[in-house]
Amino acid sequence: MIDVRSLRRLGTSMRDGLRGLRQAPLVFLMSVSTMAAGLLMLSAYLLVVQNMRTVLETAGADLTLVAFLTPGEPDEAVVADLAARFGGIDSVDSVTFVSRERALSRLREDLGSEATILEDMRENPLPASFEIQLIPEARTPEGVRRVASRLAEADGVDDVRYGEAWVEGYARVLRALEWIGAGFGGCLMLVLAVIVAGTVRLAVYARSDEIQIQRLVGAGGLFVRLPFYLEGALQGATGAGTALLLLWLAFSSALPSAGEAVQLLLGRAAPSFFGVTEIIALILLGAGLGVGGSVLSLVYIEESP
Amino acid sequence: MIQMYHVDMRYAGGAFGLRDVSLHVERGEFVFLTGASGAGKTSLLRLLFAAEAPSAGQVLVSGRNLSRLSSSQVPQLRREIGVIFQDFKLLGERTVFENVAVTLEIAGASRREIRARVWSILKRLGLGHRLDHRPRALSGGEQQRVAIARALVNDPPLVLADEPTGNLDPDLARDIMDIIADAHARGTTVIVATHDPTLLERYRHRLLVLEGGALVQDNAPDSYPGSVRRAVSTSA
Repeated sequence: MIDVRSLRRLGTSMRDGLRGLRQAPLVFLMSVSTMAAGLLMLSAYLLVVQNMRTVLETAGADLTLVAFLTPGEPDEAVVADLAARFGGIDSVDSVTFVSRERALSRLREDLGSEATILEDMRENPLPASFEIQLIPEARTPEGVRRVASRLAEADGVDDVRYGEAWVEGYARVLRALEWIGAGFGGCLMLVLAVIVAGTVRLAVYARSDEIQIQRLVGAGGLFVRLPFYLEGALQGATGAGTALLLLWLAFSSALPSAGEAVQLLLGRAAPSFFGVTEIIALILLGAGLGVGGSVLSLVYIEESP
Repeated sequence: MIQMYHVDMRYAGGAFGLRDVSLHVERGEFVFLTGASGAGKTSLLRLLFAAEAPSAGQVLVSGRNLSRLSSSQVPQLRREIGVIFQDFKLLGERTVFENVAVTLEIAGASRREIRARVWSILKRLGLGHRLDHRPRALSGGEQQRVAIARALVNDPPLVLADEPTGNLDPDLARDIMDIIADAHARGTTVIVATHDPTLLERYRHRLLVLEGGALVQDNAPDSYPGSVRRAVSTSA
């Protein structure tokens, strides 16, 4: 049960944490710099992965599955039946029938001045097709593959195309990067927590007299530990904030001169920085790492008399 | 207020701090604890505020059995005990006011209550003009008065003082003892560990003599006229 006195104790304990920072600003600064360096690496990596994911999403939005019908003029009843079948698939957003004539006229438009090469043809070589677009949730490599196989099963469908090699290859690279990021990020976070633990331990040694006296006059374990947790959280959050600021500066200053490389990686997708949610999440991650480090270094305080 | 039954206390290396000590201290009593260095005075006091645990026997303070006290209950016990140390144990980076306020902050008192009580006790102990000074700017006697103010500001029912006048000249020692006696006169139970015979003769309270960790004498205030020096020197 939290009563007024406990809340006041909490307030005092937090003030003690800020007092600790004022007493040893250099240690705080060193720890923040180390945290910032580590989190800069991590957030830069996450930014690359985030942008690559955007590419996949952009590709997904443009993605059209094309189901080519067997050569020859399709029967109207077959077309109506297939349109109804394809439209009934859960993940399908829209179904458009492209007749052989429409396909040919599109080809003419695409060829422009070179369309004359088509004049020698005695008959239209293009098959009729259905163009199918998916709902946003289904625009994943797995979702696309699932719908493609349903389309291919239908009678009257000769072939299904959706640029599968590119989509799946890119998704594989992205997945690998995410896994590498998880491993690399995990190791980095552990290292950062240990660094904070070391810094907090220094602060504990520096303030061991104070801790001893507080305990002698009746301070509970939480009252003693809370200032250090707060200190760790502030170190982590400030480190993360600094890392994000540096990354943003690098992002906005390097982007204009790295246009071609970025385009090669991202294609038509515009490079973007973290949104508010990601920024808050990274700052909270920094704070969490700081608290984790403090917990690591303070375990023994509970046992001392 | 305090009951001890056949209490032993051993340190990590196996050496005895206390041996088979049994005693009762009534609420509102003033008790001197004496004996040579290493006799067990500090061990006994540390046992009472749960800084040490008994190896055998039972210790009851304000009805709490310390052997059964969980670590989360220790802070509450300590908030009811004012402890005065020979080496003052003041926070060097904090002002006199802040050093005394620590006790009330930990007890969860409001800021208004803290201001009023700290100001009142520091004024009573003649430190009203030293509120914003750091301990290092104070004399030994003033530092000890700050430590006493910290111990008394919460009006604890029990005060434990370990050689509170040990580093002070006789006049200052008398001042300090007068402050502690004043707290006793207001109903506080007081236990003072000292090996200073002058204090024992001057204040005349119940006198416990420890030797090698054992309680060898328990003298009522009126039963040791002229024997104080002998009691202390014998035990030494």
